[in-house]
Amino acid sequence: MAIPKVLNKKNRILLKELTKTDFKLRYQGSVLGYLWALLRPLLMFAILYIVFSKLLRFGNDIPHYSVYLLAGTTLWSFFTECTSQGIQAMLSRGDLIRKISFPKYIVVVSTTFTALINLAINLVVVVIFALINGVMPSLTWLIVPVLILELYLLSLGIVFLLGAINVKYRDIMSIWDVCIQALFYAVPIIYPISMVANSSIVFAKIILLNPIAQIIQDVRYFLITPETTTVWNFFDNQFAMFIPLAIVLLLLITGSLYFRRKSKFFAEEI
Amino acid sequence: MKRTIGERKLINSLENENAIEVNHLSKSFILPTERAWGLKQAIFNRLRGVKGYKNQKVLKDITFNVKKGEFLGIVGRNGSGKSTLLKILSGIYYPEKGSVVVNGNLVPFIELGVGFNPELTGRENVYLNGALLGFSNKEMDEMYDDIWDFAELKDFQDQKLKNYSSGMLVRLAFSIAIRAKGDILVLDEVLAVGDAEFQQKCNDYFSSLKNQNQTIILVTHDMGNVERFCDRAIMIENGKVMVEGSPKDVAKAYLDLWK
Repeated sequence: MAIPKVLNKKNRILLKELTKTDFKLRYQGSVLGYLWALLRPLLMFAILYIVFSKLLRFGNDIPHYSVYLLAGTTLWSFFTECTSQGIQAMLSRGDLIRKISFPKYIVVVSTTFTALINLAINLVVVVIFALINGVMPSLTWLIVPVLILELYLLSLGIVFLLGAINVKYRDIMSIWDVCIQALFYAVPIIYPISMVANSSIVFAKIILLNPIAQIIQDVRYFLITPETTTVWNFFDNQFAMFIPLAIVLLLLITGSLYFRRKSKFFAEEI
Repeated sequence: MKRTIGERKLINSLENENAIEVNHLSKSFILPTERAWGLKQAIFNRLRGVKGYKNQKVLKDITFNVKKGEFLGIVGRNGSGKSTLLKILSGIYYPEKGSVVVNGNLVPFIELGVGFNPELTGRENVYLNGALLGFSNKEMDEMYDDIWDFAELKDFQDQKLKNYSSGMLVRLAFSIAIRAKGDILVLDEVLAVGDAEFQQKCNDYFSSLKNQNQTIILVTHDMGNVERFCDRAIMIENGKVMVEGSPKDVAKAYLDLWK
């Protein structure tokens, strides 16, 4: 599978059609339609905001904490949507795989594109929310898309790896659901990382080496406030910042290689 | 378990007079012997040293060619390996041993209306189906009117598919199949669709195809169709080519299977 073949015209058209279909069907039959793509993460944010910021008084020392929280939940929603839908993609499109020959990665990528479109819409809301909150626009905002790309590649790596295993061992989906739950608490979304650092510096360091935590903290740093703890301003050793990056690359490479090797037999196993 | 992979080559050669060349093709499937097909069973089997699967040989050393413009019939009992053979020709399954050479653009119809979605309109479904079959939007634009004309469903093209009757659904799917512009059409038992009138229309269409340079491979159980349309036929029994020759001889051999 050379690069030109991956991106050839046939595949691009199929990718476009499948993404379009996926997006159209996602909110089919609901009254509010596409609005749900916005409302769901916003409602999730509202709940977390009330519980953690208002009742438990988390993050009172952080400027623009509500935007800070919204940015975190938005990226997290994307990550969970992208991975859950992506891992299931091969199975939910099993009818196609059994009957037609086409590169299997297209099915996976098309579902992740739908999640990406949703993220784009939600990020507009984050930006509007930030401006209302008095966050000053700055040139550092331009770094955010690069971080989003990193998050997307991380999700894609996970989806390729687990999606391929899931074709044979359907348990993966249930295991991943639990992992998502655990990860949610292992990443500083609802709590500020400083709370962890106060009790254990080592713990805080481990948490920050998780690529999801690194990305969320970096986005907050560049988008909202430089008073954010990031992997590169928390560690003394500057090389620490390459660890999350290495994890992302490793997952992406092993994931896509594994998927490519296994995809030859998906039609027989699904 | 290590699986060998044979060769499936796509070429586009005018000199080569064959549309398809199948050489010593074999295929087996790994079937789970236990019902549970999950992680737990896999771990148990490994611990107990049990092989959780058995090797089912479906195709055994099959060799045949299809000439350009030829209408080839493939017949055989249920489970003889016909569909597996078509899926390998179509690139859905990988050949295990031997080789398959496909000369030209092959459009497979293992089933009609693959990817049809009831929530989308007829128009959207036609384009989606086209993209799945490997056609560009421009190519679909060219075929579009032709497809609806043949299906005689023009008034319904912007209706959602869930509002179609099942007869209308297969008419549309079938029209896409036979209007699709490919060098080689692969059809798996998809002839008996629609009412008597539509049947007649399809039969006329297939008869007319014999005069055009369209290569067709048809799997069917209807010996009438084999004798009416096919230039040549092969019978597969137990994963091997048992009879190869004129439609008449093959039809007779097929009916003799139950004697």
